[in-house]
Amino acid sequence: MGKHLLEVKGVDVLYGDVQVIWDLSIHVQEGTIVALVGANGAGKTTLLKTISGLMHARRGEILFSGRSLGKLKPQEVVDLGISHVPEGRRLFSSLTVLENLKLGAYPPRARSLFAESLERAFSLFPVLKDRQGQKAGSLSGGEQQMLAIARALMAGPHLLMLDEPSLGLSPIFVKTIFELIHTLNKQKVTILLVEQNIHQALKIAHQAYVLKTGKIAMSGRGDELLADPEVQKAYIGERWSKQ
Amino acid sequence: MLKYLSVGLIIQLLVSGILFGTMYGIAAIGLSLIFGTMRIIFFAQGAMIVFFAYICYWLFTLLGIDPYVSLLLITPISMLLGIGFYYGLFKGAAALEDRVSSLLIAVGLIFFLENFMTVVWTADPRAIVTAYTSHVLRPLAINIPFTRLMALLIAVLSTVGVFFFLRKTLIGTAVRAASEDVVSTTLMGINPNWVNAIAFAIGIGLTGIAGVTLATVYSFDPVYGFIFALKAMIALALGGFGNVGGALLGGILLGLIESLGSFFVGAGWNEAIAFGVFLLVLSFRPQGLFGGSVEKA
Repeated sequence: MGKHLLEVKGVDVLYGDVQVIWDLSIHVQEGTIVALVGANGAGKTTLLKTISGLMHARRGEILFSGRSLGKLKPQEVVDLGISHVPEGRRLFSSLTVLENLKLGAYPPRARSLFAESLERAFSLFPVLKDRQGQKAGSLSGGEQQMLAIARALMAGPHLLMLDEPSLGLSPIFVKTIFELIHTLNKQKVTILLVEQNIHQALKIAHQAYVLKTGKIAMSGRGDELLADPEVQKAYIGERWSKQ
Repeated sequence: MLKYLSVGLIIQLLVSGILFGTMYGIAAIGLSLIFGTMRIIFFAQGAMIVFFAYICYWLFTLLGIDPYVSLLLITPISMLLGIGFYYGLFKGAAALEDRVSSLLIAVGLIFFLENFMTVVWTADPRAIVTAYTSHVLRPLAINIPFTRLMALLIAVLSTVGVFFFLRKTLIGTAVRAASEDVVSTTLMGINPNWVNAIAFAIGIGLTGIAGVTLATVYSFDPVYGFIFALKAMIALALGGFGNVGGALLGGILLGLIESLGSFFVGAGWNEAIAFGVFLLVLSFRPQGLFGGSVEKA
């Protein structure tokens, strides 16, 4: 295992006066898949937003490759090599697939590598190549999620943050997405994954954190947590037992 | 009145309407772009048009620069001024996503400009008179004033230019993306200030172009702009917010409505008809008359 690519150290995050993250620390080692799981409202999405600069911590600090992200804006954070695929995908639905991908390669660092990145995206997602002239809004839910991930990869990230990538997808696409995360990780992309599909997420994660009301409730290797009776009882239960 | 009606007259009314409406169209495109990224109606659009009409007037009377040649100066100056306006006046409000402040700044700008223009150029109407001002082309016995034909040509060229900029350049694509989801564009590495500044550059650049065509076609005074901005807003509503081609068509349609309305109903009804149409469209087809419901640019 390599060094820490991302370190979150004792951050407090507030929405107005409401604190949603309390003195939270996590670390992500280079080349791993790290899962953040927990109930709705536990602060998972907020943590990703804070890392990508959409929100800022009131206290504590976030280090990426040893550099403090401080008050950097999202457009600056993505240029450092952190790409965030937000919940709900947030594609530009009136723009074509190709235009979405072009904007993904907007950071100066990524622009010169556009041709290679595009080729890589199309080889990972052949369906996007066939549909490159179509409006993003006309794609199916699964295809839109693929486009959202492909668009984030166009920036050439070292760290890819995925917020609920399997949400609302059919089981076949859920399987595809998790296989894809595995493939990307094999290609040296470090992944920070927020998932409501806890069983699947823990299965592929090297390291996982269970969040509860803005604090870390448990952490450990993915397979350890998966086997933990408490996690089984609280988060997995009947619903996922068949998968 | 109806017994004088002939095919020739109808065609004349239609042609006049189209030529008249193109100026609403260019102003509406500017409104549409600024609305797309900032989510405000930039009411000062009309005052800006009149301001540039005065600049054109000055360049002509003081320096003897032909109005169409002055476009080469006025277009880049107005675009730079647009960027200056954004960074100087609107950036703070945009960062807070405070649309009320942005709107008030735009309204403040109207009053500033109107009073500024009254001080500098007085409230007397001004007009530019060149060798070609009264030149009228008469193909097939239809009167087409040269300056209005030029206005149409300039409007169409500007629209095509803006359209290609938005479609074919990366920053233009970013402007379209931002009018859909600003937060998502920041995650792509796009600076929202830059996108807003570009929208202002084009929006105010178009007021420069519209100002020149206004100065060549009509006489104008410092407060002429406000009603003009309202008309541009109607054109925008007709064409659909956030749709460049639709904005030009909306302007032309409004010109036609006014032209036909003032002939058949009377010129005094012009504004009543225009705003009546505005209300009807907003009530029954708020997405505009052209294209799909959420089609952009």
